[in-house]
Parts: sequence; C-alpha cells; structure tokens
Amino acid sequence: MKWKVVLLLALVLSALWQISVAHEHRQLLQRWQQQDALRNNLQRQYSMLLLERSTLAAHNRIDRLARQELNMTEPKNIQVLTR
Amino acid sequence: MTTKAPTELKGIERWRFGLVLGVFLVLLAVVVAWLIKLHVVQQSFLVEQGEKRTVRTEVQAAMRGMITDRFGKPLAVSSPVVDMWLNPQEVALESVPEVAKMLNLPVRELGLKTSKAAREGRSFLYLKRQVEPAVAQALLQKRIPGVYGEEGFRRFYPAAEVTAHTVGIVNIDGRGQEGLELAYEDYLRGTSGSRQVVKDLYGNVIKQLQVKDVAKAGGNLTLTLDLRLQYVAYRELKAAVNQHQAASGSAVLLDAKTGEILALVSQPSYNPNNRAALKPEAMRNRAVADLIEPGSTIKPFTVAAALQTGKYTPNTQINTSPGYIRVKNKTVRDHRDYGVLDLTGVITKSSNVGVIKLAHDMGARQLWRFFTGAGIGQPSVLGFPGEAISQMPYPEQMDSLRLATVAFGYGLSMSPLGLAYAYTNFTEEGCRKPVTLVQDMTQGKCEEGISAPIAKQMLRMMETVTTKEGTGSRARVPGYRSGGKTGTAHRVGRRGYEEDSYTSLYAGIAPISNPDLVLVVVIDDPKGKEYYGGEVAAPVFSRIMEQALRLRQIAPDDGSIQPLQVAGGIQ
Repeated sequence: MKWKVVLLLALVLSALWQISVAHEHRQLLQRWQQQDALRNNLQRQYSMLLLERSTLAAHNRIDRLARQELNMTEPKNIQVLTR
Repeated sequence: MTTKAPTELKGIERWRFGLVLGVFLVLLAVVVAWLIKLHVVQQSFLVEQGEKRTVRTEVQAAMRGMITDRFGKPLAVSSPVVDMWLNPQEVALESVPEVAKMLNLPVRELGLKTSKAAREGRSFLYLKRQVEPAVAQALLQKRIPGVYGEEGFRRFYPAAEVTAHTVGIVNIDGRGQEGLELAYEDYLRGTSGSRQVVKDLYGNVIKQLQVKDVAKAGGNLTLTLDLRLQYVAYRELKAAVNQHQAASGSAVLLDAKTGEILALVSQPSYNPNNRAALKPEAMRNRAVADLIEPGSTIKPFTVAAALQTGKYTPNTQINTSPGYIRVKNKTVRDHRDYGVLDLTGVITKSSNVGVIKLAHDMGARQLWRFFTGAGIGQPSVLGFPGEAISQMPYPEQMDSLRLATVAFGYGLSMSPLGLAYAYTNFTEEGCRKPVTLVQDMTQGKCEEGISAPIAKQMLRMMETVTTKEGTGSRARVPGYRSGGKTGTAHRVGRRGYEEDSYTSLYAGIAPISNPDLVLVVVIDDPKGKEYYGGEVAAPVFSRIMEQALRLRQIAPDDGSIQPLQVAGGIQ
C-alpha cells in the first residue's frame, strides 16, 4: 500500500515537472527565435552597410569627385621621397 | 387503490427502465466502438494527418561566403531577402489586390494568375522573389491566409562590371553560374540547415521536434586582385576599346614577383547586379577564355631560345636584307628592309626575317623544347572555368614553314593570361611562379624556363622597344624604365587569316631595374586607321602601368627624377 502511494506521488510530480519543462522549452524556443531574427537583421544591416561603403568608396567615384569637386590633378613634377 | 397503483407503476417502470438502459448501453457501445476504431484501427492515419497539419520541416538557407579582393574590399556579398509565395488554394481572391499593391505587382495580372492556379489545383505560386526584408515583414505581419515568405539571400556585386568576368555570377537560386562563383561553388555555398517544428494555425513555431542539420555559412574567398588596379585597368581598357571601336579587349596584370593576378579585365562587360540585361557575348571572360595568336609578342622567346644555345649574344649580327624571306612557297615580309641588325635590333624593330633565320638555325626540336620549358603551350595556367586550352604544334608537325610562323607567333595560340604568364619568365631572374587568383599561403615553387643571365639580357633588349627607334615607343611609362614587345596579328576569319582585320597586342614589364609588374593588353579588331600593336595596345599599357606603379608606390628608376632625400627619413 505504501509503495503505491509513493508511486502515485512520483507520477503526479513527474507529470507536473513535464509541464514545466515543456513550458520552459517553449520559452527558450521563443527566445531563440527572437535572437535568430535579430541575428538575421544584423546580418542584413551589415551587408547593406558593407555594400553602401563600397559604393561610396568606389574608385571611379573618388576619382570623379577628386577631379571635379576638389580640383585635384595628378602630380606633374614628381618628387619622390625616399628614406 | 393504493396497492394497485404501485404494481402498475412497477410494470411501466420496468420496461421503461429497460428501454432507457438499453438505449444508453447501445450508445455506450457505439462510443466504445468508435473509440476503438479511432485508437486502434485509424490511429496511424489520424496521427499522420495531424502531423501533416502542424509539423513542418523548415529549411534555413546558408549564407553564401563573401568574395573580397586582396585588401578585403568586397566583390560579392550576400544579403538576406525573402521569397514571397502564396498558396492559391488557401488565399481569398479578395485579398489578392492588397498583396499585389504591397509588392508592387500588377493587380489584375496577379488576380488572373491566382485564380488560374487555383482552378488547376496548384498549391504553390511565387509572388515575387528576393523581396526586401522590411517589405516582406510588413506583408507577413498582416497574416493574410495563404501568403508565405521563405528566407533566402541575394547576391550583390559592389564593383559590378569591373570585376564581373572574374568573380562571375550566381543564378536566382544562389548557385554559381560563371567565373569564381562557379569554380568555388562548393566552398562558397555552405550547408543549409533543416529542422522539424510544430506550428500553430498562424504559422508560429510552438515546438521544435528535432534539428536535422545546423546551417553553416559558406567560406569567404580572398582573391589576389587589387581592386584599385582592377578599376584602373578596366577604365583604360574600356576607353581604348571605345576609341578604336574594337570588337573586344582584355588586360592582364600580374605581380612579377609572385605570379599573383592583380587585375584581370575584359571588354565588353556587363552588370551582374542587373540580371535582366545579361547578354551572353558580354559575359565572356576574354582574358582567360579567348585564344589569341600572340604574333610578334612571342619573338622575345625565339630570341631567348637562340641565346640559350650559346651560339648567339645580344650583339650577334644578322642580315635581314632584302626585308623579305621565302619559306617554301610563302613570302614573309618585314615592315621595311632593316639591313644588318644585331639580336637586340631584331627585337627593337620586330624583324620577322631575323627571327625566322634564328628559328631555322635552331631547328624545330630545340625551339619547341625551349618554348615548352618556358611554359608556352602549357594547356591551362589557372584552372578557371572555361579557360582556353593553349595550343602549340609538336616538333614533328613543324616543317620549315610552320617553324618559321611559330617563330613570329602564328600557328600557336594561348589566352592573354597565358601570354602574361609566359612573360613572367623574364622577371625574378628567370624564376617563374604559377599564376594564382585566389590567395593561399602556399608559396608557389620556382620553375626555371630561362636562365638568369639570359632573362636579364632579354629585359635589356626589350627595353629598346620603348625607345624612339622601337616599335613600342608609345608604351613608355614616364619616370620608369619599361620594356616589352608589340604584336599585331591577323585575325582568323572564316577563310583563314583576314587581310584587314587585326588583333593588337602589347606585353610588357616594368620597372626594368627590378621588375614589379607584368602587363598584357589585347585589343581585338580595332576599326580605325590605327591597328598596330604599337599604336593601339601600347598606349593602354603605358597608361595602366603608370597608374599601377604609382598606386603600388614603386620608386621611379629611369634617373630623370631624383629621389629627394629627407632628413630623418620617412616611413
């Protein structure tokens, strides 16, 4: 009789425990999904910024800006500085 | 009365009781039978159906690796996007216009397409692929039934047409189609992840059953290209191709010390970011995939072969009078009668007669052995997809005429890259390193095709080409000693060599005192009055080389500019 009570108690406890673990799993999953979405978002921003920077720093754009807006030219009388 | 009534009631009560009980028992039996049917007979079917409605396998696309130049400047970058699709069976036709408006699609057309797909019983229809994540998110937040999004990636090419041929392109599914994207497909792609999840009615994940694969991003690829030099080469090549209304052009810039490809450009080019406007002929990587006959640019090798025999020195006199030579039934001409030239003069003036006499004196076997040792006719130098296979006749195939034509660059063919590779023989004291496009830490082993003293002599001889008397005076690079060789080859048409259609070439090295760069410029079929290599290709060489040497901070070596000594020194 006594071991039956113990078993019943264990059964109830493990059932409750399972509920709480399932709940915990769901919460962790949700957090993971949020983090995953965040990571994707950051990834997107990173590649966008990378693309933006390389567009702004494109050689032909810098060349054009230097010539037209800053009135720069290639040096005519080259002087080379050596150590 | 009192005794009668109960007996009557009792009688009624008994059969009624029996009836009610019987009905309940039957109902109970039905319920039990139904339960047994559901739990025993149909269980597997029902479980399966239930899972079909809730359990989903989610695929997570792996991020494709980045391709960068040698300094980490991005050449190909993947960015997350969403492929939007709908299930025509689930979607209400009234909600289609709203979806179309949000995705900027024609409303009527999408409505027709959806109803047609629904009639045909299809349950998948792409709405729009590669949608901006922000737009897709806004649409998915509306929870319109039957509208779904699948995460994917889109490939961007920041340098666009400048690196298009080398980097290549991926298709809409993110698979490499051309160039390095194709060659390194397995390395760049990574592995996509997949997991089994339970979803609720709204598509939210409520339970994760199992993770089959974890998504692994593809590896990044670092090239040996220098984007600055690539830009310069592209700009100058494009300008020249336009100026001479040429059919195509290409340029290859190699690091003379390491064999690394610093720039690899072709014209015409295309914008890999705009898939709609792709033209196959513009996608050809001419620097690698085109076979050219090197023409006179091969002469330095014929002369070097002669020097290698030991019978000749750069000052050995050769009589090229009367400016033409008959081989079998063909007459090969020089530009004019140059009289007696020394070996250096043969290079300076690009004398066909001179090199034919040298080749005939050496014989086919010796010339072939020297060329092969120098890596000319090596089938492939890089292993790039679509790389042209070089061709060179075997000595048994060379009669006196064939030998003569090989000596001045006809009857053998290679890619512009192959030609540039061959010119690295003259640098680093004859140490030729394998050509590389992708950076790896392994140092290529030296192959000696030309002995060190002869390589040095050849450099000095090729420097005379850029003097006032030489054929490549317009290839001169201000401030630097440069050397090279012009080439003008008749193009091969439908009926053999064409009379008035040419390929203009220039292959050169700078600075001569300590070679840093090897550059080959090929302009195919210039339509203007100018068509000689010294007129069309040589100026391009000069312009690219001048800017490239400055960008690489190579000190001028021609003595016209005195280095300024700074007290204390600068770094």
